[in-house]
Amino acid sequence: MAAKKKPRVGIKMDMTPMVDVAFLLLTFFMLTTQFKPPESVQIDLPSSHSAFKLPETDVMIITVTKEGRIFLGVDKQQLRVQLFGEEFRLSASVEVEAKALTDLLIQARISNPKLRTVISGDVTAPYGIIEDVMSTLQKVKINRFNLVTELEKA
Amino acid sequence: MAAVESGQPRAHGKGKKHKKRRLGVRVDMTPMVDVAFLLLTFFMLTTVFSKPQTMEITLPPDEKTTVEVAESNLLTLRLKADGAIFYSIGNEKPLPIAFNQLRPELLRRYYPELSNNNEAVSEVLKSADPVELLKRYKAHPRLITLVKIDRDGTYKMLVDIMDELNLANITRFSIAPMLDVDKEILLKAGA
Repeated sequence: MAAKKKPRVGIKMDMTPMVDVAFLLLTFFMLTTQFKPPESVQIDLPSSHSAFKLPETDVMIITVTKEGRIFLGVDKQQLRVQLFGEEFRLSASVEVEAKALTDLLIQARISNPKLRTVISGDVTAPYGIIEDVMSTLQKVKINRFNLVTELEKA
Repeated sequence: MAAVESGQPRAHGKGKKHKKRRLGVRVDMTPMVDVAFLLLTFFMLTTVFSKPQTMEITLPPDEKTTVEVAESNLLTLRLKADGAIFYSIGNEKPLPIAFNQLRPELLRRYYPELSNNNEAVSEVLKSADPVELLKRYKAHPRLITLVKIDRDGTYKMLVDIMDELNLANITRFSIAPMLDVDKEILLKAGA
C-alpha cells in the first residue's frame, strides 16, 4: 500500500503587521540618517575616555592635518560665504593660513556669537601647530573649546 | 501586478434605479514591500550611530593671568618629541616614567589616602568609572599639574595626557610651552 500523501496545507499569513513595522523602521532610519558631508581632508582622530558629545549645530571646526595644514570649517552655508567667499559655499572646510586664522575667528564670532569652537587634530599632527592654534584662540578670547576625539574601546 | 477584481454583479431588484457597482480593488503589495525592505536594509547598514566625542578645555581668560604656586606643589610633566614622559615635583630632577605608570603615580600624588594603598590604586585603575570612585577620596588641595609638550611632538600626546589627567579626576592643570630651559633641564637629567 502506498503511503498516504500528506495533504499540503496552503498557509496564508497576514503580513500587514510586519510590513507596518518595516515601514516604521524605514521611516526612522531615513529620518535619522545624516549623510557625511564630503570631507576635504582625512583625519585620524585620537581616542579618549571623554563622554562629551560633539554639538550638532553652531560649531566651528578647526582641523589640523598630519602635515600641519589648518582648515577652518563652519556648519552654516551663509557664514561660510561670508567668511571665505561664494566659491566655498559647498566646501565643508577651507584651508587657511595660520596668520589669517585670527581675523577669521574674530569675524566668525561676530557673525554668530553662539559658535562653539572645536579642534579636530590628526593623531600625528605636530603639537607645535596645535599649540599655535590654542594660543590664537586664547588671543581672540575663545577660552572654552573642545578637542574632538573618538571613544576609546575597552 | 495589480489584480482588479470586479464585484459580483448584483441581482437586479425590481427597483428602477441602477445601483452603482462596487469594485473591490485588491493591489498586490509584494513589490512595494520588497522595495521597502531593501531601503530598510540599506539605511540600517549605512547608519552610524557613534558621534565623535569631545574633550572640553577652558583656558584662563588672559595670558597675563598668573597663579602663584609653591614649588613643592607643582608637578611638571614634560614630554619629549619622541613621546618620552618626564615627571618632576618642584625643582627636583625630572624622572622618566612610562605612560602606563603615569596614572598610578598621579593618583598617589593627588590623593594622600591612596599614596600607601596599592590595593585601592589598582581598584581605581580597573574601575570602569574611575572618576566616580575617586570622589570618595580627598584630593590634595594645592597640587597643580603643568604639562609641557615639545613642539615637535604630536597631538596625540596632548590628548593622551589630558585623558589620563581626566581619568584621575584632575581637572585643573595647565598647558605651557616647552621652553629651551626645559629642554636643558631634560638634557641635564640625562634624557
